Amino acid sequence: MRRRTPLAWKNLTNEPRRLMIAVAGVGFAVLLMFIEVGFLNALLDSTVQVLRCLRGELVIVSRTKFAMAARERFDARRVYQASGCPGVESVYPIYMETMGAVLRRGDARPASRGYPIRVFASRPDDHVWLLPAVGENSPRLRQPGTALFDEASRKQYGLPHRLPDLAKCETELAGQRVRFVGTFYLGVDFTNDGNVIMTADNFARYFPYRSRGMNPLSVVDLALVKIRPGVSWRTVQADLQQRLPDDVRVFAKSAFIQNEKDFWSTSTPVGYIFFVGAVVGFVVGVIICYQIIYADITDHIPEFATLKAMGYRTPYFFQLVLAQAAYLSLFGFVPGCLVSAGIYALLARITGLTMQMNLVTTLGIFVATWCMCTISGLLAVRKLLSADPASLF
Amino acid sequence: MWVRTGAPRSRTIRVRGLQHYFGEGETRKQALFDNTLDVYEGEIVIMTGPSGSGKTTLLTLIGTLRTVQEGSLRVLGRELLAAPRQELVATRREIGFIFQAHNLFGSLTALQNVKMGLELFDFDQPEMKRRATTLLERLDLGHRLNYKPDSLSGGQKQRVAIARGLAHSPRIVLADEPTAALDEATGRKVVTLFQELSREQGVTIVMVTHDNRILDVADRIVNMVDGRIKSDVVVQESALICEFLQKLRAFEKLTPATLASIADKMQVEQHSPGDVITRQGEPGDKFYLIRSGEVEVLVDDGTEKRVVATLRDGDLFGEQALLTGEPRNATVTATKVTMLYSLGKVDFQAAISASASLREELQKVLFERQ
Repeated sequence: MRRRTPLAWKNLTNEPRRLMIAVAGVGFAVLLMFIEVGFLNALLDSTVQVLRCLRGELVIVSRTKFAMAARERFDARRVYQASGCPGVESVYPIYMETMGAVLRRGDARPASRGYPIRVFASRPDDHVWLLPAVGENSPRLRQPGTALFDEASRKQYGLPHRLPDLAKCETELAGQRVRFVGTFYLGVDFTNDGNVIMTADNFARYFPYRSRGMNPLSVVDLALVKIRPGVSWRTVQADLQQRLPDDVRVFAKSAFIQNEKDFWSTSTPVGYIFFVGAVVGFVVGVIICYQIIYADITDHIPEFATLKAMGYRTPYFFQLVLAQAAYLSLFGFVPGCLVSAGIYALLARITGLTMQMNLVTTLGIFVATWCMCTISGLLAVRKLLSADPASLF
Repeated sequence: MWVRTGAPRSRTIRVRGLQHYFGEGETRKQALFDNTLDVYEGEIVIMTGPSGSGKTTLLTLIGTLRTVQEGSLRVLGRELLAAPRQELVATRREIGFIFQAHNLFGSLTALQNVKMGLELFDFDQPEMKRRATTLLERLDLGHRLNYKPDSLSGGQKQRVAIARGLAHSPRIVLADEPTAALDEATGRKVVTLFQELSREQGVTIVMVTHDNRILDVADRIVNMVDGRIKSDVVVQESALICEFLQKLRAFEKLTPATLASIADKMQVEQHSPGDVITRQGEPGDKFYLIRSGEVEVLVDDGTEKRVVATLRDGDLFGEQALLTGEPRNATVTATKVTMLYSLGKVDFQAAISASASLREELQKVLFERQ
């Protein structure tokens, strides 16, 4: 193809101030979409963040557990049954308490009645946590009445987030003294305001009634299965599902994570709300972008009419406006994306939610930005096509 | 030079019974009334007339920028009435437009703006650059090739726009006040370029202008009033005729205004040897002046044909039949390639009645001949 004068590029970049305004406008729309999608992802990512911090390829849960937050448990014997399965290296039971686990600062003034917190427990010899802080504090956690506190827990607990101030505080969990010997970073989500990790032995002491008179550790919330190196997880998964009774189900961890996300995004209105928010961002973007392109076309109507008089035809003008839209989306996206990254970091610090900018989301928003600019361009091109060369004489 | 009779050069614009209306229903207003116009290859036509007289409407119709509603308009051999879009765009690409406002893209340099006019055609990059550069240099903008319009003066911008309109070698140039933004010297340069294009490449140039300084380049001046072509004057030719008439004894006492009005009405005719110009016994309808060449006057008295006279440059004939109202008393035949100026009977009689001296002089010529 013959090289043509890049009119779209030249017109867009000719006036830097105007370009800045355009970039700011499109960038703002990009930011809006990023924040809405970011919150949605934060919601979804935060709820599965704990699963990402646990070792193991497969997850065993009660057949009736439809989401992590559901208090559906299964018999601890399944853990031992699973351990005997070929290809399994180890099975780590995880115990979890939320509603009954009220954390209260005893020396708070005025006195606080405390707030529920999510408590995780694992057997002291299981290296199930991928969080380095858990391994480092393992000897101290074996002492009775000790636990680790999530630095990302919300401020309502009134606790300092770091040692040694934290250790000096007088704290009660489920009505009993608890001593925090360390901190870790996991992050909160929309249903949990904070996290605590302890050993199963301590857990049994704090929550003795969770199994109706039986050993509190006889019911497990979920179990992680670590597979021997070189063995296919698919084989083991199928094997386990067949050997274990029908009251549990075995998932690949990645599938379990996906199910959890799907639950929140489709079975609750929360996902929908943020989706609508992102759509609003998109629409705002279309309007801003339309204004920019329309104004630019209006200012150059006599020039475009002259091109028409010369014999330039409709496809050329479509091409011109679409190229301009594409440049605009690129120019707007880059700064919008950078500012969003900054705001994500800030929001993660403030809210404790997991705000991650992943590749799929970023690409998705780029495509949305491009669509946004293209739609605006197609709306504005009508103005250009109405340019009447007869009015030039 | 073109000649109206004899072998005509090809007609680039042909307007017949052209009507145009603006608005619809009650507010419909007629802008052009039954106009007829012919413009030939290589002609420079200047259109004048008060604003609202329809000259720009006519120009936009010729430029295919408006749809022809009624009548016939042929441009470069294509009928524009009810022509498909494809055809209109094809015609448009053979036309160069120069608008009153320069309409340059502020984001492009002078060179790039001119190239925009070339990119529609099959020129390669070096050719485009060569054409654009040559034209801009011709218009004294060689040192401003890579300047954007913002750093050019009004006149320079207008010249870039002119270069853009001409770069693709259009066959017709339609220009609207092309020199309005230019000083006299650059304005002259532009019209000289127009003249060159029309003489050397046969480009037809139709120009709307009120700039009296450039009227002299016109071959014809078309004056429009109220949507009608009021006069269509062959300027160059009538100037020549005037000059010629002044040298003749019969016309030497006439005022320049009378001379010009006679010259305006005269037609140019060209005849080859052997052509019969008037025939004895036929009614007389024209008066002739010999611009150049030679004719023989033959009288047939019933028994034999006699050559009574041989007429040459500056001689006149055909006046007797018009003065007396009798049929032609001789047959006139060209013996060489002959250029004649002719004046119709009505115009001739009007000229005679307006000027006593002309009648006297003609009667003297008549008397001397007998």
